[in-house]
Amino acid sequence: MSTILVVDDDKNLRRLYQAELEAEGYRVILAEDGKQAVKLAASESLDLIVMDIRMPEMDGLEAMARLLQDRVGLPIILNSAYSYFQENFLAWAAEAYIIKSADLSPLKEKIRAALRAQPPDQLLSRNS
Amino acid sequence: MEISSPEKPLSAAESLERRVAELTILYEVSRALQKLSDEEKALYTILVGVTHGRGLGFNRAFILLVDSKEEWLEGRLAIGPSSAEEASGIWHDLREKHQTLGELLNLLVESDIKKDLRVNGIVSQFRIPLSDGGNPLLKIMRSREACLAVNGTFEPHGFAVDPVLPSLLGVSSFAAAPLYLADEDLGLLLADNAITQAPIDLPNLRLLQIYAQEASEAIQNIRLYRALMEKIALCERVNQTLRENQYYLLQAERLSTIGKMATLLAHEIRTPLVSIGGFARRMLRTTPPDDPRKEEMDIIVSEVSRLERLVNEVLGYSKLVKPEYKPTDVNSLVRSVLLIMQDEIEKHSVRAVLNLDPSLPSAEADESQLRQALLNLVTNSIEAMPSGGVLSITTSLDREYFEIGVCDTGLGITQEHLGKLFTPFFTTKVTGTGLGLTVVSHVADNHNGSLRFDSMPNQGTSFHMRLALHPDVASATRTPPRAASTREVTS
Repeated sequence: MSTILVVDDDKNLRRLYQAELEAEGYRVILAEDGKQAVKLAASESLDLIVMDIRMPEMDGLEAMARLLQDRVGLPIILNSAYSYFQENFLAWAAEAYIIKSADLSPLKEKIRAALRAQPPDQLLSRNS
Repeated sequence: MEISSPEKPLSAAESLERRVAELTILYEVSRALQKLSDEEKALYTILVGVTHGRGLGFNRAFILLVDSKEEWLEGRLAIGPSSAEEASGIWHDLREKHQTLGELLNLLVESDIKKDLRVNGIVSQFRIPLSDGGNPLLKIMRSREACLAVNGTFEPHGFAVDPVLPSLLGVSSFAAAPLYLADEDLGLLLADNAITQAPIDLPNLRLLQIYAQEASEAIQNIRLYRALMEKIALCERVNQTLRENQYYLLQAERLSTIGKMATLLAHEIRTPLVSIGGFARRMLRTTPPDDPRKEEMDIIVSEVSRLERLVNEVLGYSKLVKPEYKPTDVNSLVRSVLLIMQDEIEKHSVRAVLNLDPSLPSAEADESQLRQALLNLVTNSIEAMPSGGVLSITTSLDREYFEIGVCDTGLGITQEHLGKLFTPFFTTKVTGTGLGLTVVSHVADNHNGSLRFDSMPNQGTSFHMRLALHPDVASATRTPPRAASTREVTS
């Protein structure tokens, strides 16, 4: 069972994502902001992170940068109400960028695709 | 000096009376001139003063002025009867009305100019190029001293009178007084007694000279006034434009505030919409098809979708973030990057070698993205050569693609690191974000291109960006960021 960390400062959205992703068969852990996410990632074994961007304490881009420095290759899907962070070079490090919508199927599709993908080391060694 | 009417000795009383009369004329005319802002009316007033019986008492008077481009001395305005009959009629009327000069001038200020046809026909024929230095009228104007044409000579100057002048004016004797300011020749005032044939005496000439000075100042004042009015009008126009612009600016600011509020509101609305719509969809999925509440849930879901589309439109999300393709001179971009990095290059004892294809056409590229990619590659190369080396940058053309190569003679990439090159935040440097090659690879994607590299430990590394000259805008729309594992990498 893959473990997904959902990071969002909105209580209702956390509840929605948890319910929907658990229904898909994932184990879901929740964090309220970037700071909590970085803390949790240190103690939990994670397969993927769904990360909001605009949050108090620490925003999603900074949290992603910190997380990826410790956990190179961990897929992080940015899930934001804003589109303009896409222009930020930092956002380019993400696995995918999704604009929040009541229709969760694009998010679920990205999660499935990212978890299907093999770790980078394996792919490269096969290619070279 | 031979003058047609030699000066007769005047008694003290006569002399005083004459002085008072002269002063009165000057006073009346200058008072009238002060009220005028129209140059032609001022010229007319000056001429009236010259010809009025209670003024200087000449029969006719002509004004010649230097034009605004200072190329010509031109006849501008004249006054005086055409014939003896007309003259006696006018003079009779004037006597009947018992008008003083002041009263007449006051009337003139109010009324329109009546142009005497014949004299104005004469004056309009004066047009002397200022370059014609030998012209006697120009010589008089520049001498700044009044003179009298008599017996074919201008006295006291002694210039010969051009025979054209007596035949044009119809008289052999006339007075000419220069109009001038301290630093500028304005023109000439001509006066004669064509009707009465009365001789012009020296006191008359002296008075004409003094009068001409008064007239010169009046003309100058009017010109200054007019220039001032033009400046004021200009200022008013500028002010008006400023006021209009200020209005538009306020409008724009107001609209931008509304725009900002709308954006803020749209973002704030999006999060609860996701909750409402998301939970409604969940409930809908668990509701049996025959449940009467299903239709109501459908309404919630579809209305939320409608609102989301509306919010997307407001926020402009329908437009995906695209690179801004503009015609770019790739070779000069390379040179500019090298210039930016010059200090670093020198600090690391690196020698830069450029091999740029001069036939490279202008490429459709996002210049700032391409510059960033090049900066990242050049930075990597320099840092790979801590004890100096050669950095070579090449550009070349391959059909619809151009290629930029950045090669160094540095440390090379170890086998261990090879697989992680494009992994975001992977870095071997003490300072560095680990995003450098992630960005380069995205920029290549954005330009329908690819990135390849070769590296040999302790021999060096080369990166080649192969980019489309005309990236197809539709297919190059920025795809969502992809994971490192999906990059095209050859080594």
